[in-house]
Amino acid sequence: MEALEMYTVDDRDDVYTEELKLNLGPQHPSTHGVLRVELAMDGEIITRSRADIGYLHRCAEKIGENVSYLQFNPYTDRMDYLASMNNNLAWSLTVEKLMGTEVPERAQWLRMICAEMNRIASHLIAFGTYGIDIGANTPFFYAFRERESIMTLLERPSGTRMLYNYIQPGGLRRDVDDTWVADVLAFCDDFEKRWAEYNTVLSHNRIFIGRTANIGVIPKDMALDYGLTGPVLRGSGVKWDLRRDVPYLKPYDEVDFDIPVGEGTHGSLGDCWDRYWVRMREMMESIRIIRQGCAALPGGEVMTKKQKSMYKTPIKPEKQNVYMRCENPRGELGFFVAAEGGTSPVRVHARAPSFCNLSVLDALLPGTMLGDAVAVIGSLDIVLGEVDR
Amino acid sequence: MNALVAFLSDLTGLEGVLPLSMAYAVCIGSLLGFITVYAMFAIWMERKVAAHMQVRYGPMETGGWHGWAQSVADALKLLFKEDIFPSQANKFLFAIAPAVVFCGVFAGFIVIPFAAGIQIASLNLGVFFLISIAAVEVIGVIMAGWASNSKYSLFGAVREAAQVVSYELPSATALIGPILIVGSFQLGDFNTYQANHGWLILHNPFMPVAALCFFISSLAGCKRAPFDLPEAESELVSGFHTEYSGMRFSFFFLEEYASMFVASVLMATLFFGGTTLPFNIGDIGNWATYAERAAAGEPSVISGIGDFLRTHLGIVVLLLKTFFFIFIQMWLRWTLPRLRVDQVMALGYKYLLPWGLVTVIGTACFEAFGWGWLPH
Repeated sequence: MEALEMYTVDDRDDVYTEELKLNLGPQHPSTHGVLRVELAMDGEIITRSRADIGYLHRCAEKIGENVSYLQFNPYTDRMDYLASMNNNLAWSLTVEKLMGTEVPERAQWLRMICAEMNRIASHLIAFGTYGIDIGANTPFFYAFRERESIMTLLERPSGTRMLYNYIQPGGLRRDVDDTWVADVLAFCDDFEKRWAEYNTVLSHNRIFIGRTANIGVIPKDMALDYGLTGPVLRGSGVKWDLRRDVPYLKPYDEVDFDIPVGEGTHGSLGDCWDRYWVRMREMMESIRIIRQGCAALPGGEVMTKKQKSMYKTPIKPEKQNVYMRCENPRGELGFFVAAEGGTSPVRVHARAPSFCNLSVLDALLPGTMLGDAVAVIGSLDIVLGEVDR
Repeated sequence: MNALVAFLSDLTGLEGVLPLSMAYAVCIGSLLGFITVYAMFAIWMERKVAAHMQVRYGPMETGGWHGWAQSVADALKLLFKEDIFPSQANKFLFAIAPAVVFCGVFAGFIVIPFAAGIQIASLNLGVFFLISIAAVEVIGVIMAGWASNSKYSLFGAVREAAQVVSYELPSATALIGPILIVGSFQLGDFNTYQANHGWLILHNPFMPVAALCFFISSLAGCKRAPFDLPEAESELVSGFHTEYSGMRFSFFFLEEYASMFVASVLMATLFFGGTTLPFNIGDIGNWATYAERAAAGEPSVISGIGDFLRTHLGIVVLLLKTFFFIFIQMWLRWTLPRLRVDQVMALGYKYLLPWGLVTVIGTACFEAFGWGWLPH
């Protein structure tokens, strides 16, 4: 890609003003990783911008074409490292679709509970870091306190705290222990109180609203045109959630939950505050789902018998193309796999939600101020591990 | 100062320039020592306040008791760090900018009356001097931002210049009210007046407004959250001191905490009684009482000790009030998000300045007609 060219803003005899080129990143406190945004600045106002990505490219898709179907599962952890469960889930569902595997009932419910817990953990990071972007440091620590509880809970069945590799093709790696469900429910009770605290300290703060309302407005049409998904799309008032519209796990059909959408509470529909508030309410919806899931959790196996044999002899799906998508905390994560009968796919492609959501950035930034740029990037809630893959 | 010169000249038997320069040395040395110790304490306090607001403990190890020596350790570390100059920087400006920034605030300390008689220079235009000397800091910040040859530093410096210069207006207007009531610019007079007439914040209905205006604008003047735009970490990395490290960086840090102290002392002295307590337990911190009694020929040991204690109680009272306001500054910093550049300007010019002017006019009317909540 070409670099951004700087224009002359004002060229009279006595005044000569040129745009200032500012490199926001790749090392910058609030680009959420190694995003680089080239900004053309006229004073504090951004005139044009160009997002430059690729600093965290790790050839994840190419690796997928060189390892077996099951071996790729841990690599999906590292894409959106804040929502590993959801990534595992998407890849597992893709492989199961390839093989036509039916997953035991208990595994499906536990998958849903774990995925929703990871969604809360991921939204907590979005909430905490957004506070830091806007200049409030304290919410971050509150968010990490609750995220710690979630990580401890997910550590018990999976053995790891961040990159779980717990949901696997065919089911779950291991069943949860006896007291796990009770502890999850206790966490849900605790979290509801904490959630009210978050809103007191940040969501309804006048300065916070002043910084985020009417900033980075994405109208409905624009959101659809850019192919945005997840809270960024719903923030613009589009009620689209794969969990409800294309239930990829059976339990999602059976539990009762709402899909929060932006309402333009403090300004235009689809501004930063709406996107933020959608995430906040989604946390509470996830709590609802977890509660119902824990109540309805059936007994039985968590792994198909067939899957156990998969590890001894690598699976060889027939020649076919498969696309499977899931509602990740950041939007739709889709895996496209082209199988040709070998032990590894000939093509793996990930439709990463952060990558697609980031595409709208250059359209949002012109005309805003430098401080808003940070607010807009934060409200898109990107994970660079997923953008670059 | 004059008393100190006289004392030194008596002690050493010298005349002329020598005792004067000795007095200067004593004053500068004690002020530097005070600021350094205070800043270390305030930094430790800030870390503790922040930590406890953020459900953690903060420093707990260094020095044993609740990490009290953390700031000392940090200062030592900064002292031994390599002095780095960016290769494209303007070396001269880059080197002297931290000193210029610090000088402005340091000079402000000389007019602060810690207690009656404990004041380095009792200037007739004390308040005026404080406000104007604090503006010197802006020059240093612009020097730092420009000399660093970094775009983030430049942005920080320009923001600082715009912000601090704009907020001098509301903070100065907010101070006109107390000056009108007391009828003096001399900071010591505020203590005397409030000892006799009660705290100025309760003097008339406009004073609380003026105090609030002054406090908010002093936050902006000290670059404290929610007005910490010149060093907005999430936007400008570190703002104007992005390129600084080691001792030069610590001067900016020292300056920030010193200016917090000056702002809080002004707040305490001008609105909240200074060295006086809200209830009357005698003339606290009045050296004159001791002198008068001595002149009247009744200097007993007991009254001497009592006066000494009262004097020091005056300092303690002032410091307590000051630290209360410093605590509020910290509290706000760890609670509130940051404003945007245009919102900062709007707040200053659209809200604080008009309200400041209202307090000036209101107080002038109340003074002219002799109204108010407290006796004149």
